[in-house]
Amino acid sequence: MDAQRSGWLMKRISRFLGYLILILTSLVLIAPVFFMVVSSFKVDAEYLSFPIRIFPKIAQWQNYKLVFTMTPFAKIALRTALLAISTATITAFVSSMVGYAFARYNVPGSKRLFGIVVAMLIVPFIVILIPQFILYSKLKLTNTYWPWILGALGGSPFYIFMFRQFFLGFPKELEDAAEVDGCGPFGIYWRIFLPNAKPVFATVMIFATNSVWGDYLTPLLYLSNSKTLLGVALTTAFRNPQGIEIKTVTLAASVLYIVPLIITFFLAQKHILKGVVTSGLKG
Amino acid sequence: MATETLTPQSIYGQVKKAGLTRSQKRTLTFYTLVLPWIIGFIFLSVFPLVVGLLTSFTNYDGLNLETIKFVGTRNYARAFDDADVSFSLMRTVLWGLLNLPLWLVVSFTLALILNQDVRGRGIFRTIFYLPSLIPATAAITAWRIILERNFGMLNNFISLFTPEPIAIGWLSDYSLQGMTGVALWGGLGSGMIIFLAGLQGIPDELKEAARIDGANGLQVFRHITLPLMTPVIFFQLVLGLIGAFQQLNLPLLFTRVGIASASVPPRPIYLYMIHTWSQIMDQGRYGYGTALLWMLFIGILILTGIVFWSEKYWVYTGATEEGGK
Repeated sequence: MDAQRSGWLMKRISRFLGYLILILTSLVLIAPVFFMVVSSFKVDAEYLSFPIRIFPKIAQWQNYKLVFTMTPFAKIALRTALLAISTATITAFVSSMVGYAFARYNVPGSKRLFGIVVAMLIVPFIVILIPQFILYSKLKLTNTYWPWILGALGGSPFYIFMFRQFFLGFPKELEDAAEVDGCGPFGIYWRIFLPNAKPVFATVMIFATNSVWGDYLTPLLYLSNSKTLLGVALTTAFRNPQGIEIKTVTLAASVLYIVPLIITFFLAQKHILKGVVTSGLKG
Repeated sequence: MATETLTPQSIYGQVKKAGLTRSQKRTLTFYTLVLPWIIGFIFLSVFPLVVGLLTSFTNYDGLNLETIKFVGTRNYARAFDDADVSFSLMRTVLWGLLNLPLWLVVSFTLALILNQDVRGRGIFRTIFYLPSLIPATAAITAWRIILERNFGMLNNFISLFTPEPIAIGWLSDYSLQGMTGVALWGGLGSGMIIFLAGLQGIPDELKEAARIDGANGLQVFRHITLPLMTPVIFFQLVLGLIGAFQQLNLPLLFTRVGIASASVPPRPIYLYMIHTWSQIMDQGRYGYGTALLWMLFIGILILTGIVFWSEKYWVYTGATEEGGK
């Protein structure tokens, strides 16, 4: 009886500790975003002050106007979005097709090739990125968007892996039936596998779009200031005539920069979590 | 041909007449489908790697192909004399030692808590994942409000508990710790999701059975959950290790954004890739820089090899060997 009671007490305490950890962690994780948003409404003199003032005296909505007038922010954002979405679309289609082939075709050499896909997951991207840059600059393709498009056309090992894991779970009968109905291999991929891979497709689309939208290194390497993407523009654009950064305007731009990401995440949250769970790990 | 009765033999015969057996056809289809990836792999991975390797044996400066000269292994020998290489390598190891265990432990712990039936699980999961969505550039602009030396929120907060206001340089002298904070914040969500997915794959019956046999919560964790999670921990460890050694983005952003456009990173976060990057981009030492890249590549391969070798000592693979699902 006593052991049961203490067990019950332990359970209550561990439960309470669990919630405490969850709530404290949430607060810590939200803090930077919270400060980012409130400080984006401050004037630069209030950015950091002693004693601390968390909220601005008067909300400076004009910071958000300045974002658009100090740079062609809308134009850069549109350019970044277009590049991100087109790159992601290409990469998702190619990766799903390759992933389908790896999941369904057990032919001479297929296992070895898949071994290469997996090995590519652990090749540090930076070791390839810089020589790629040397090559593209010899081909006079720097300061264009070709490196993104050409890169997408080959698919990506990580996404190929995800699709393959997902397709492995598809019942064999489905494609047998389609084959009897006269569907070719591409038809089976296009009409049966792809339409049934929506969670993974959505996940890959979002991951791939975000990775271009949020990228700093690649645009820094490839593009001049007049052609650059949002990730780099954010760090260089908002300066006064003396060249000193206006930090609160940078913050306002940062808020605008992350809002689309957060909205898409909320819209697709279910898909993403499902996509990761069903494809990321099995096998 | 249409009048023939359809037996397996006759179908086989027809296909044979078309010139290819069914398995040859399937092989052809497979290679057609994976062709885009093969082309990409050859031209965008293998070719750059080889070009990088060849460049590392030359004095290439990024501009003149006329004056390019083969210098043998001089670039590699030079790396061993470069004090900045050993210094930056040490910083990178330190960065990995600080960052990796912290990330693994915290994201695993959060996943464990969220795997219980806690109220508001979905909300917590969303909040924990939120920072992973925020690109590093935006993250740094937010984090410098917290890490700024004078009047930054963190120092302000710590000063509440100290007799004198403190001024710790989280962006300069203590930037390694500051950067760990940012990396942990940004990486917890994705780490947690993978652990959570792994935890959900553990069959409840196993834990139930252990409980019926009299195991308490801690014992269930120690003998059921932890062993079954070792493949996931292994997977995370490998990816985390590779990520830690090629870290470039964060120190670069710490320098250019964190401390208002400094040109040289503070010494604590002068990581290996920062040194390599500055050799190539600032000094135009392409030959030397690509040699440093290849040394990193080989180093990472060796480290990953060691982790894979250690797999048999601590990663649980029993279920598959015994033929279970």
